[in-house]
Amino acid sequence: MPTRRKFIAQSVLAAGAVLTSNSVLASLAGSEEIKKLTILHTNDVHSRLEPFPMDGSTNQGLGGVAARSKLISKIRSEEEHVLLLDAGDIFQGTPFFNIYKGEPELKAMSAMKYDAATMGNHDFDDGLEDFALQLQHANFPIIISNYDFTGTVMEGKYLPYKIFKKGKLKIGVTGVGVELNGLVSDINYGNTKYLDPIQSANTIAHKLKKDEGCDMVICLSHLGFKYSSNKVSDEVFARESDNIDLIIGGHTHTFFDTPLVYKNKSGNDVLVNQVGWAGIVLGRLDFEFSKSKNKNLSKSHTVVIGEKTS
Amino acid sequence: MQKIKTLLPLLFSFFFFSCHTSYETQKIQYKDYRITKETADDAALKALLQPYADSVNKSMNDVIAVADVTLDKKQPEGNLGNLMADAMLAKAKEKYQAAVDLSVINFGGIRLPTIPQGNITRGKVFELSPFDNIIVLQTLNGKQLQEFFNHVASKGGWPVSGMSYQIKNKQAVNIKIGGIAMDLNKTYTMALLDYVANGGDDASMLRKIPQVNHGYLYRDALLEYFAEFNKSGKRISSKTENRVSYAD
Repeated sequence: MPTRRKFIAQSVLAAGAVLTSNSVLASLAGSEEIKKLTILHTNDVHSRLEPFPMDGSTNQGLGGVAARSKLISKIRSEEEHVLLLDAGDIFQGTPFFNIYKGEPELKAMSAMKYDAATMGNHDFDDGLEDFALQLQHANFPIIISNYDFTGTVMEGKYLPYKIFKKGKLKIGVTGVGVELNGLVSDINYGNTKYLDPIQSANTIAHKLKKDEGCDMVICLSHLGFKYSSNKVSDEVFARESDNIDLIIGGHTHTFFDTPLVYKNKSGNDVLVNQVGWAGIVLGRLDFEFSKSKNKNLSKSHTVVIGEKTS
Repeated sequence: MQKIKTLLPLLFSFFFFSCHTSYETQKIQYKDYRITKETADDAALKALLQPYADSVNKSMNDVIAVADVTLDKKQPEGNLGNLMADAMLAKAKEKYQAAVDLSVINFGGIRLPTIPQGNITRGKVFELSPFDNIIVLQTLNGKQLQEFFNHVASKGGWPVSGMSYQIKNKQAVNIKIGGIAMDLNKTYTMALLDYVANGGDDASMLRKIPQVNHGYLYRDALLEYFAEFNKSGKRISSKTENRVSYAD
């Protein structure tokens, strides 16, 4: 589906990037060879099913699943290939969760046709048993690569990754969760084993890119954007990652002005984005792909990002 | 994939190519959609939510108290945190019928950035303290308390009641309990959330200290404490008063 949206090159990441991008645009304008994928994403919605109440607080009137759903439907009607993803902390924060333990949250996400979500630390808040039980209301997978749930009620109820086929595009999605010790009460995570997120995600991303032939790998992350300490964060993860193109973050409730671009350990670009919390913002990233030409050349790959103006 | 492919027979290679061509990202556009009151609602989703919302709102929309001032979550000290620590200390003394010297709340446990001046509903207290955390008591000697408050200071300062401290180079200094300088050789009884006492928010130094736990939910303490203002015809007020500050 060729599109002719106005494009503003806001962030130029390497000297060659503009040339590459422009020449590609010029040669492929209107060509069927451009494949487009629209990624919609949320994080840390924290049971905010209804908008914040109109009580004079900062966020009054913002958020709510009914409005988000309408917006998503509209975008789906305009775009052929959409992935709708969430980076965890679906649960906890409004009385809906205290009373219903996650059922309406997962039913609403299923109705909006979420493709996948990862687990946040607050998704353990009523214990692993509750989370596993509530998954009966979800028609989308929980994807996480660095929690080993062997011997727990979650065994067999999650995926380390999933491949989505969108037209000719193959998109691999994996996920990483935050260290549980010191954050989640022992009793709530039980025998869950936390594994190194960078190592876990890189192993899977390698498999997705090199063995499965995915055109793009997305990692849903509940590690948090960045810390003053040396704790692993999306920033640290992005720089030490390999074969991952996009990290959709959460946990720190950070509202990004623009997605950030880091160089991974092979010198390729990796995008990181996060949209605050409570479903106040729905993030959208439109990726345009063309046939890979430099497969036998240097692997270094640079992208250009710009704000969508229409 | 590339390396394997070159080793495969031509036919299979052809098959492979016809199955899947590689694509590479060339450009990315981004957009943030702010979901506001003006965004139209999806009727089907609203209908799905309605029975849950009706039930929640029926029990959660009662006004339990009135805030005389806007209450803010702030570090190193905010009036919302002070109010919450005061509620914990008062209710811990009452429920445990014990001499409790101080209370502390982890900053991350305050789940609303602000409570505006005006009516406070039951639901608002659930949003402020959604977790089913229990108030517990721990008795620490001065040395243990210093270690714990060094951790608190390294996290930017947590709300307290019954005491004050200053933060210097991410360490706690000038710790005063009941207005008197902390004595390293004395013991003090502290009210706190079981989550923190169990080592949550990286407070691992508390794990080994015995707890007194009567199963009293902190959120219930807040609901009762707020309702008491209302019953006595008072509005809720709270201020900052240098309980936590930076030492220059």
